Amino acid sequence: MTRFIGRHGRGVLGLVIAALVVVAAVAAPLLVAQDPLQSDFALGLKPPGTPGHPLGTDQLGRDLLARVLYGARVALFIGLSCVLLTAVVGGLAGLLAGYYEGWFGAVVMRVADVQLSFPFILLALTINAIVGLGLRNIIVSLSVAGWVVYARVVRGEVLSVKEREFVHAAQALGLGRARLLFRHILPNVAPSIVIVASLQFAQFIVAEAAISFLGFGVQPPTPAWGSMLSESRDYLYVAWWLAAFPGAALALTALGINLVGDWLRDVLDPRFRV
Amino acid sequence: MSALTARARSASRSGIWGCCAQEAPKPADTGSLYSSGRARRRARPGIGYTPGVRAYLLSRLGQTVLVVFLSLTAVFFLMRLGGDPVLLFLPMDIQAKDLSEFRERLGFNDPVAVQYGRFVGRAIRGDFGESLRYKQDALGLVLERLPATLYLALAALGLTFLVAVPVGVLSAVRRGSLFDFFGMGAAVLGQAVPGFWLGLMLIYLFSVQLGWLPTGGTGSARHFVMPCVVLASFYAARMARITRSSVLDTLNEEFVLTARAKGLAERMVIAKHALKNSAIPIVTLAGLDTGQLLGGAVITETIFAWPGLGRLTVQALLNRDFPVVLAAVFIFSVTYTLINLVVDLLYGWLDPRTRTRAAGT
Amino acid sequence: MTRFTTLLTALAVLLGLAASAPAQDRARTKEIVVAFAAEPRTLLPVTIVDWTTNNMVEHMYDRLVDRDPKTYKPAPMLATGWKVINDTTWEFTLRRNVKFHNGEVFDARSVKATMEYIKDPANKTHYQPRWALVKEVQIVNDQTVRFVTEKPWPGLIDRIAGSDFLPMPPKALKEQGAPALAAKPIGTGAFRFVQWVRDEKLVVERNPDYWQTPAEASRVTFRFIPEFSARLAALLAGEIDIMKDVPPQNVEMLDKSGKARLRATVSSRINYLALVNLKPGPMQDLRVRKAIQAAVNVDELIQQVLKGRATKMCGPLSPINVDYSPKLQCAKHDPAQAQALFKEAGVDPTRLQLTLDSPSGRYPLDKDVSLAIAAQLQRLGIKTNVVVNEWGTHLDKIKNRTTGDMFFLGWGPALDAQNTIEQLFLGKQTYSSYGNNAALEAKINQAVTIVDPRKRLEAWAEIQQLVRDEAPWVFLWQQHDLYGVANWIEWTPRADERIWMYEAKLAR
Repeated sequence: MTRFIGRHGRGVLGLVIAALVVVAAVAAPLLVAQDPLQSDFALGLKPPGTPGHPLGTDQLGRDLLARVLYGARVALFIGLSCVLLTAVVGGLAGLLAGYYEGWFGAVVMRVADVQLSFPFILLALTINAIVGLGLRNIIVSLSVAGWVVYARVVRGEVLSVKEREFVHAAQALGLGRARLLFRHILPNVAPSIVIVASLQFAQFIVAEAAISFLGFGVQPPTPAWGSMLSESRDYLYVAWWLAAFPGAALALTALGINLVGDWLRDVLDPRFRV
Repeated sequence: MSALTARARSASRSGIWGCCAQEAPKPADTGSLYSSGRARRRARPGIGYTPGVRAYLLSRLGQTVLVVFLSLTAVFFLMRLGGDPVLLFLPMDIQAKDLSEFRERLGFNDPVAVQYGRFVGRAIRGDFGESLRYKQDALGLVLERLPATLYLALAALGLTFLVAVPVGVLSAVRRGSLFDFFGMGAAVLGQAVPGFWLGLMLIYLFSVQLGWLPTGGTGSARHFVMPCVVLASFYAARMARITRSSVLDTLNEEFVLTARAKGLAERMVIAKHALKNSAIPIVTLAGLDTGQLLGGAVITETIFAWPGLGRLTVQALLNRDFPVVLAAVFIFSVTYTLINLVVDLLYGWLDPRTRTRAAGT
Repeated sequence: MTRFTTLLTALAVLLGLAASAPAQDRARTKEIVVAFAAEPRTLLPVTIVDWTTNNMVEHMYDRLVDRDPKTYKPAPMLATGWKVINDTTWEFTLRRNVKFHNGEVFDARSVKATMEYIKDPANKTHYQPRWALVKEVQIVNDQTVRFVTEKPWPGLIDRIAGSDFLPMPPKALKEQGAPALAAKPIGTGAFRFVQWVRDEKLVVERNPDYWQTPAEASRVTFRFIPEFSARLAALLAGEIDIMKDVPPQNVEMLDKSGKARLRATVSSRINYLALVNLKPGPMQDLRVRKAIQAAVNVDELIQQVLKGRATKMCGPLSPINVDYSPKLQCAKHDPAQAQALFKEAGVDPTRLQLTLDSPSGRYPLDKDVSLAIAAQLQRLGIKTNVVVNEWGTHLDKIKNRTTGDMFFLGWGPALDAQNTIEQLFLGKQTYSSYGNNAALEAKINQAVTIVDPRKRLEAWAEIQQLVRDEAPWVFLWQQHDLYGVANWIEWTPRADERIWMYEAKLAR
């Protein structure tokens, strides 16, 4: 039993937290009666414990608990979209770069280098000019910034998997390149993609806060933890709850997802399975 | 059996484990001398300045130039998508004809290709033009701010190493213990808390309530404390986790088991064998991070009013100050690619095995 | 080698030198610290139009003509008197016994040299278009100059009463050139330049030879802190003494802090909701515009969102504006009237979908006000999509006429009619939201040429009435400028947004 906790304790904790977040996101309308978008000017900046507003209200009188719970939706949406986009694009780029080495691989890696060597906010700003502020901007910006990781990791993996005996064997058998790539190499590379994805998920959610801080947050009145945190800066000294609760939600969610990611890593490592 | 463990080892070297505590590229990725895109079957005699090293360095420098050039080109064209720069730095009561006169004078009415050609011609000579916002040479402005960011980044890097590596090593050695649990818990939290939030909390506590530390600016060692902590928090957390996983991997390697079997003291085993070999992902990450620290210090510099390059770049971007943005990107690119080069050279020193991929595991 | 020394110097600056002294010490030595969000863009006067820059530059340079801090009418400063000689000539009498910080005497040559500096295209100053109408400056004698204009320009006195003309030392300008002056400013001002640490602070010290009584403050440091909550923290920690733009909700906390308190003033800067009629849409119908005016409850916005910190306006000009005429009637908040007007215009409010463009953080609670307006319109069933723009994008959209049906903007300092109405109600102006009204345009173009002050006021009064009737905006308010000021400093903010530490009195 203790062995189970030792090995899987963190993972279980992470899964529980993640489950809570999902529940909050999905069941938000059932859990709270208030509308997170409904403003009531007379009730601005009320502290937690005000009747009808257990966590207080923000400057426009919107209920904070409702916004935190609905914010889970946005967080999960951002995380999932970004992860999907980056994993697919980056994974594909890495696969191809690793498999078709030489010219193509070098080009992909240099593109990655070029992109990494200029500031992230420039991407956000330019994307902002094309699609405007809001959720789309955030997802596109974060995805553009994030695909590089996958490309690098996957390429490295592919390079090493390529050397394995079964690949040589398959090639000797005359297997087509595409089939080799997708049916044989990809499954071996998949665990690393999954693990990176799980850890990037949390990072994307936290990065939304950084983007909001720079001024490219979600459009109001959509509740998103990062932009709520950013807006709370103006009221830090008069309404601590505006920073505390979204911040706690953000930190907790990231914590849970990271724990799950760590656990996945432990579990998928063949050595420790023995 | 040994073949299987060897396979596992090679998988770990280039794969999942080091990477997953985020983004540490493997030697294979960076196209280093020791394992490049093409399979090199030449055996290298050892560390030494063979003709191959010189050729390699030249080739890498060439690549650096290429990357920098491409970055500048990309930024040049991307910025023009972002909106009219002239509008932003002229007063709001400007008349239309004066607006177009300013545009004309600054060369923004010319076709983009012409502007680009002009830019390249001048950039080669180190002239990035005059800042649109300040009446000052753009590159000079950027270089003026660079030291402040460098010092902050180095201090943060130092703090990162000081804290993260011991924590990571200890957590790995005492895997499953309470220390491991809380250490990694803190590390995960360090990555989960947004930097600006941490910064503002620290300011509230240490400046407003306790009055121990200044809210921002520079001028004494005390001014370094909070910005360093905030900047380092994310990277230290990540470094701790990678260190732990990397040390864990190494501790189970055959040669370590062999060393233990030979009866060497535990501490010696760790220090001599495990650390050196686990250093690769750490070094990689440090390299990546230094580059990102320079750019990622933006938020820290803004909150703590630190007069650095990150803050200048953000303001230049928001103000559409093209010359300064381009000059800043130039400096970033150069620094980043040079750091990559240094990291790759360090690989060779740290782990001779990586010098040739085909040496067989 | 210079790069290396730069690095070392930078390190020395970062580590060495004095850390900022706490408030009690500064009260004794009479040193004030003012926080701005950004640093000056240059230390040359009359070169770059920028509120932050001018505020700091004007500690070292004086205006030729100032504005009275109470009435905001032109008041003597380096010029003691002025009069119109003929249609195209203004004459100014200059003050005697004024010296620049380097000992040079201030006289007519300085005025001429400054105007030449502005008009020289090589200097690329932003002020050149503002002085385009001036042909030349003639020196009559040491204490008298004449501004000769191309066309009659009765508004010259409004233009010159402010930051647009700050005399520079002619000899230093000629011998050392503008760049030297940029590195080491030399003016006639109440404070002398000490040092500028880029992106960190600007330090000036009291000028004992000032032509008025020397300032009470012995030294003023301007610190540049971009992050608002860090500025507030610095104020609460006693590191700085004055900061601008405290949000209304923080006022109570500030007053109770024991370190600083609120000092507020009604600003000349106005905020408004533009109803864009420059492109096809519902806003081209006057009745729809009037209906929107009736639908928005400005009083509620001021009370609930701004906590009372704004002064309602009924027309395009505020009472502080020198050309203001008080006969205008405010649009009343009347939902029934709004419904009636919509019906008359054949528009069903429940099916109306509007877009409101708003900046974020540029004006006090601009985003929140925009959201609140949307909520108020929602009461009538109108769906408003609030699009929050980054500032540069916002300006771009307005200029390119790609905003939605409405946008939120501010304008200021708005101290005279020409610089307000002419800029905002002529269809071709960069940031205008209203046009297609030939009669109004003709009247405006005519009014700016009237020389006789009384006739001018009458013309502007008529225009204000016309503009009000056209309902081009939902007229909102004059901002209140909320400053946090340390308890040991007595300083009253000005409506023209000038922060001048010469006016600061220090508690004994």
